Amino acid sequence: MSGDPDRELVVFTEALKVPVQERATFLERICAGDENLRQTVEALLRAHDRLGNFLEEPPTGASVE
Amino acid sequence: MKPIEQPGDAMAKLVEAMQARSPRIEHGGLGANSHDRLFKQPLLTKWTDSSECVRTSDPGRLALPLENTENASGAWRAGKVASEPPEADNMKDATVMLAAIEAGDSKAAEQLLVLVYDELRRLAASKIAGEAPGQTLQPTALVHEAWLRLVGDQSPSFKDREHFFRASAEAMRRLLIDRARRKHTKRHGGGYQRIDFDAFDVAAPAVDDQLLAVNEALDKLALEHPVQAELVKLRYFAGLTNEEVSQVLGISLSTAKNYWTFARAWLLNEMDGN
Repeated sequence: MSGDPDRELVVFTEALKVPVQERATFLERICAGDENLRQTVEALLRAHDRLGNFLEEPPTGASVE
Repeated sequence: MKPIEQPGDAMAKLVEAMQARSPRIEHGGLGANSHDRLFKQPLLTKWTDSSECVRTSDPGRLALPLENTENASGAWRAGKVASEPPEADNMKDATVMLAAIEAGDSKAAEQLLVLVYDELRRLAASKIAGEAPGQTLQPTALVHEAWLRLVGDQSPSFKDREHFFRASAEAMRRLLIDRARRKHTKRHGGGYQRIDFDAFDVAAPAVDDQLLAVNEALDKLALEHPVQAELVKLRYFAGLTNEEVSQVLGISLSTAKNYWTFARAWLLNEMDGN
């Protein structure tokens, strides 16, 4: 990804606070023509929707061989 | 005339006092309150003074023992594992290194990492011997136990905790990744030497593969979002909670939660895109 990493973080975090049906409008407004930023954040939001338990479990299941 | 106490005597007494206070960890067991001791203790007590003395009065200890260097290169001695008592030398090394890191010695950070890696590996191996099959190896328990064995039961300074947990997260990451790579090699017909830590098998090859994929994506995250990548290491590999992570990184709890959510989404997006 390219662009301003801090803006990605801020816009993503703020977008999560906006009701789902209003997010497209919110992104349109906040990205103000920065298409790259909008697409990046949209991809992150889609990933967020399918996070499930991703990384929440310790990376070490264990059984003795 | 009152005899003059030699500096060496004072040192010996301090070390003795510290050792007397070192935790008594039974085989396979982690004191239930170790976590509380680490994070909920007042930061300053009378013990801070003596530990500072130990840290600063023996600069020669900064030299890394050769055997640890050897360990860092992967030449682990399979026979040297498990339930050895806390080693006073290692404990002194760790406190000296923590002080040196705080003083800006970048070499000390790598030395602490090697020491912690060694200790975590040994602790993990000792768990294998002590627990029934199917148990889950908890990074958080290993890391907190390593703290007690390497730094002791003294009240840690805030900075010491920060340095230690950053080193632990990186050490856990390297341990797990090294092991996953060895197992990957084994599955694909490569040479393989059974080493103690590998006896802690993960449930399925898919878990190893995900671990390696996460690690790769995490390297990319670190290029664009270094703080968020550090947070993932602390949470995922060292098993710290959001509260603990916020302390180590010096950010608010709500910011830590936001960063965690962002980093997970970023990593998943990166992994799915490849």
